[in-house]
Amino acid sequence: MEFDLLKLQRILQDYGVLINFAGRFTQEIIEELGDAVKKYLETEAISQNETYNVFSVFIEQTQNIKNYGVLKRGSPHGDRIANSGIITIGKTPDGYFVCAGNIIENNDVSALTAKLDEISRLDKAGLKKLFKEQMKKELPPGSLGAGLGLINMARRATRPLHYSVEKLDDSLLFFTLKVNV
Amino acid sequence: MKTKSTPEVQFDRQKQRLRIEGQSYPENAFKFYEPVFSWLNDYLTDSEEGASLEIHINMPYINTSSSKCVMMILERLEEAHQNGQKIAVRWYYDVENETAKECAEEFKEDLTMPFELLPVEEEK
Repeated sequence: MEFDLLKLQRILQDYGVLINFAGRFTQEIIEELGDAVKKYLETEAISQNETYNVFSVFIEQTQNIKNYGVLKRGSPHGDRIANSGIITIGKTPDGYFVCAGNIIENNDVSALTAKLDEISRLDKAGLKKLFKEQMKKELPPGSLGAGLGLINMARRATRPLHYSVEKLDDSLLFFTLKVNV
Repeated sequence: MKTKSTPEVQFDRQKQRLRIEGQSYPENAFKFYEPVFSWLNDYLTDSEEGASLEIHINMPYINTSSSKCVMMILERLEEAHQNGQKIAVRWYYDVENETAKECAEEFKEDLTMPFELLPVEEEK
């Protein structure tokens, strides 16, 4: 199959994608892309608050994916998982969105979707309460995150978080999370 | 030293002042804040009752794992305050950055120590 860059560009444009990265997420890439995101949004003359919210969701999404890759380093699928990250930031007439995806292991999906379903049942006050409860929880030693990222994204979002899961084979799935800001 | 993803943390022993300034979304927040926390904990544990510490915070952006660390620091300060040590938190935020203000307000809600929220005009 011939590589058709123009076709790829048109697809991105059709979806309103402004910034897109696919591959292994490192802290350096997250920082550089984060800067680019912020600079881009500043030129768009939107409120500092909106810029902050998009940036915040971008950081939580990318760090979640990166941390999951670190967690799965010892897995037989470790490399495939670590290289499977993708993040897009886009704009539609309804506002901005941050959509990210990565490969996850079958065994991890139910805990993740259960948490997202719990979050999506809550209103802003309920999310704040859950955020504070989780903030006060003791974390197991060696934790990479505080278990607050998904709740925080829901608090920043203008619409309920939207996720989808696509089966790749018997042990792996592709997980997508779209956050409208 | 301040980097893109880590704040500058400065302690002036003479002035009894701790300053945390800058964005915070390090690769591993727990690792970054661990020395800050243990230093603070040692300082407060060694200080007598009535000792004082002023904390200046200006953090335009805090990711969630950093906010957990900041809360642990604030809780340690609150404990010192309950023990009769003189603690004062001054939290600066950009007037246009509502989310940063909200974040500080949420920290403040659960604390009884002196905690001032101070708006600053953005430096252009």
